[in-house]
Amino acid sequence: MIERYNLFLHEFSQEASKELQLFSIIAQSFFQPFSLMDNLLVIMTALTAGPGLGFNRAMLFLTEGDGLKGQFWLGPASAEEAESIWHVLSTPGIGYPEIIEHNRSLLTSAEADALTQRAKKLSYPLYKEPALIPALTGSARQMILVRDARNEPTVDRHFVETVGTDEFLCIPLVSQKEVLGEIILDNAITKAPITGREIELASICGLMAGNYVYTAKLQKRIVDMKKVAAMGEMAMFVTHQLRNPLVTIGGFADQLLDPHTGERKKRRNIQIIRNEIRRLEKILLRLSQFLRIDVREKVAVDVRDMLNLVREQVQPRIAGRRIILDTEIEAGLRLILCDPTHVGEAVRNVLDNAIEAVDEGGRIDVRAYREGTEWAVIAVQDNGQGIPEAIKGKIFDTFVSTKEKGMGLGLVYVKRVVDACGGRIEIQSAEGRGTTFKLYFQTEPRAKGAKP
Amino acid sequence: MKKKLLIVEDEKNLCLLYREELTKAGYKVTAVADADSALEQIKKHAFDLIITDIRMPGKNGIELITQIMAQRKDIPIIINTAYQSYKHDFMTWAADAYVVKSASLDELKAKIKELIG
Repeated sequence: MIERYNLFLHEFSQEASKELQLFSIIAQSFFQPFSLMDNLLVIMTALTAGPGLGFNRAMLFLTEGDGLKGQFWLGPASAEEAESIWHVLSTPGIGYPEIIEHNRSLLTSAEADALTQRAKKLSYPLYKEPALIPALTGSARQMILVRDARNEPTVDRHFVETVGTDEFLCIPLVSQKEVLGEIILDNAITKAPITGREIELASICGLMAGNYVYTAKLQKRIVDMKKVAAMGEMAMFVTHQLRNPLVTIGGFADQLLDPHTGERKKRRNIQIIRNEIRRLEKILLRLSQFLRIDVREKVAVDVRDMLNLVREQVQPRIAGRRIILDTEIEAGLRLILCDPTHVGEAVRNVLDNAIEAVDEGGRIDVRAYREGTEWAVIAVQDNGQGIPEAIKGKIFDTFVSTKEKGMGLGLVYVKRVVDACGGRIEIQSAEGRGTTFKLYFQTEPRAKGAKP
Repeated sequence: MKKKLLIVEDEKNLCLLYREELTKAGYKVTAVADADSALEQIKKHAFDLIITDIRMPGKNGIELITQIMAQRKDIPIIINTAYQSYKHDFMTWAADAYVVKSASLDELKAKIKELIG
């Protein structure tokens, strides 16, 4: 017999302590598509909220360059403000998610609250001698509890003035090798002394926050590296694409200058040169089109008009090849939200691939239909050769192509356009049996008062 | 006797250019568009030199060199490609020269002269 439990707990048993529940909420938040700041906000809220660990205020620093830089500061600025906030927080029905939301709105409001404005002005170099708190906490990789700040020589004077209280706890956010930030906690309003148990609990929050900042940093580094790698590939690719036509043009131009070259050959050379120049132009056009995908505003586009136009564009490619191209649009589906210039081009790219994939006598079905209330799907199905297993995972990588002369930009372009329109792509493909591309777009919500 | 060159180049116009220019330079030139046709030609005829591109449909130039080596044919090979970067590819060392494609054929002609006269 086995029992299954949801890894992401929503309800806890009677025995589960408040702290356990909080840590579960924090750990779960890392799986949400939140931003780095949002996730840190969850931790900072856990440290300060009434139903949380119960510190009065929490200030966050993150490492920028060689120093700590203040990011935000949660908590009431005065006793009066504390009373009103805590009154709201103790209202029945206000749970942890509501408090996070409340804090988020505080930080994103036009006049970010007074404490945060003060915190944002703080910055301390991490590796300067003598190391003073708060920077000392980071370089020492230890939690430091300051008891008598005003008379403590290891605390930066300006920091004491800003914090305005004698007792506070500093928790470093660290990875194995780096100092990533710091959290400062205090009970400036209630003046309650910080206990050993609170330090223990706060340490776990510090470890989790450090871990999270580190992960976010690694992710950003990976994205940057991918960008650099793609640029390198791009440069190499452009070199190759441009060099062949240039060599041809240069060579035949040299022949033109040779007095022994006859008239007929000269004419032929000029034609070759002209064709190669056209090819260069085409390459540049495709590249610039690829680099300049910029969907500013989605507009309602008539699917029928768009598909008809695309169909007309590809007609010459199927003429005389006995390929059946069938289009079917669900009755009632008319408008999708997208960029009209790019999406038509993207659909044509997918259709071009399908035409390439099918043999003489092949069949391509283009269908447009609704899925649920929100999505419209444009599906292109062919019974061609399918995507080779070896490159299935790479078809959206730049410069990967199954075609001898392919630039490997087509599907990258399609994906970028669909992404920019807020849609998504699904692909089913079996080697030898065919491929289906489904492009998802948002449907136009019916205007108010419009008749169905 | 004219020296015999085999050119492997998939770009039609480049192929034409090489054939004309190298014929003018006094060689007997055979041009093919892919590695398999090249291997067929090598089986049938004795060449003094092979000039090959790297990126081609089907087998690439490096695979072609490997197969020529496996047949123990002692023919000088010049790699002629648009890419600088293959120069660091281990197998390109098996070639006798590496010439990056350029709008002037002078370097290529000079290398051919150096290798077979």
